[in-house]
Amino acid sequence: MTRDGPAGPDPAPGLVRSFLTRPTSEPAEERDDPDVAILRPYLLTSGRVVPVDDTLEIEAQVVTSELGMAAYPRLTFEHRDIVVTCMTPMSVAEVGARLGYHVGVARILVADLAAAGHLIVRRPEFRPAYNMDLLERVIRGLEAIQ
Amino acid sequence: MPVKIVIAGGFGVGKTTAVSAISEITPLTTEATMTSVSVDVDATDGVPDKTTTTVALDFGCITLDDALKLYLFGTPGQDRFGFMWRDLTNGALGALVIVDARRLDECYPAVDYFEQIGLPFVVAVNLFHGELTYDLNNIRWALAMSHDIPLITFDARVRSSVRNALLSVLSCTKERARRHREKIQVVYR
Repeated sequence: MTRDGPAGPDPAPGLVRSFLTRPTSEPAEERDDPDVAILRPYLLTSGRVVPVDDTLEIEAQVVTSELGMAAYPRLTFEHRDIVVTCMTPMSVAEVGARLGYHVGVARILVADLAAAGHLIVRRPEFRPAYNMDLLERVIRGLEAIQ
Repeated sequence: MPVKIVIAGGFGVGKTTAVSAISEITPLTTEATMTSVSVDVDATDGVPDKTTTTVALDFGCITLDDALKLYLFGTPGQDRFGFMWRDLTNGALGALVIVDARRLDECYPAVDYFEQIGLPFVVAVNLFHGELTYDLNNIRWALAMSHDIPLITFDARVRSSVRNALLSVLSCTKERARRHREKIQVVYR
């Protein structure tokens, strides 16, 4: 799903994967229907392009809440997949990468689940590049790498 | 707590190699959309055309201590800048602009952009065969790069080399933070 832009060729084919990959937990008949496959993440987001919190950073940390773990049997499709995957804390970008979602879709779904209390979101520090203590910690952590 | 550094540069310069060398997770990829404004203005209504491209966003992660994760996000290798670049650079500690000595001009768009938005960055020449075939001063001249922009060499395949390159970026970030703190103190005096 790429087009040649006005100023140059598309990126090398290996860099751009097919737009959607399927979550594994859905019923077989839905998995085979290509129209349903393409529509679903957008149906779930009700066609919105602006998420509940449209400033959610791609590096924001996400983890499943206790409410989310309890609600898991009643969740479906992408909501369920995300709640399961986020039992391990990870970033919004990782949610997208591991589940095969476009990062914009991952942001919307994560924001919706956070609003519903199923996920806990930890946002990055405010202006980290001007936080001397934080910079020192990052530097020390990097220096420790062999 | 997450922090991030942007890894920029043209196609095939070694961004994914560099991220792989240091990331503790195998680098992941997610799709992102870049919207760029075409230079051609539509003749009928005067509104510039927008082009939407789906690109791959590669990234890795290093756990620095029990509460701190450093994400390395590779920029999509396009020279058209769109809204995804804002998301990548907002709140970043700095950027590493990787350049191939044989294709210097491919780093210009990234260097221009980071200068424009004031993000600390370092230009790092990737030594493909472990040797520098061009003189760093010639490279600096060819890039019309002022002497206060750090220019280093590194080997994207070697973890300690990538680590040192990232440390150079952080030293720029720290310097800017220090200058900013001094400016604030002057205001209060």
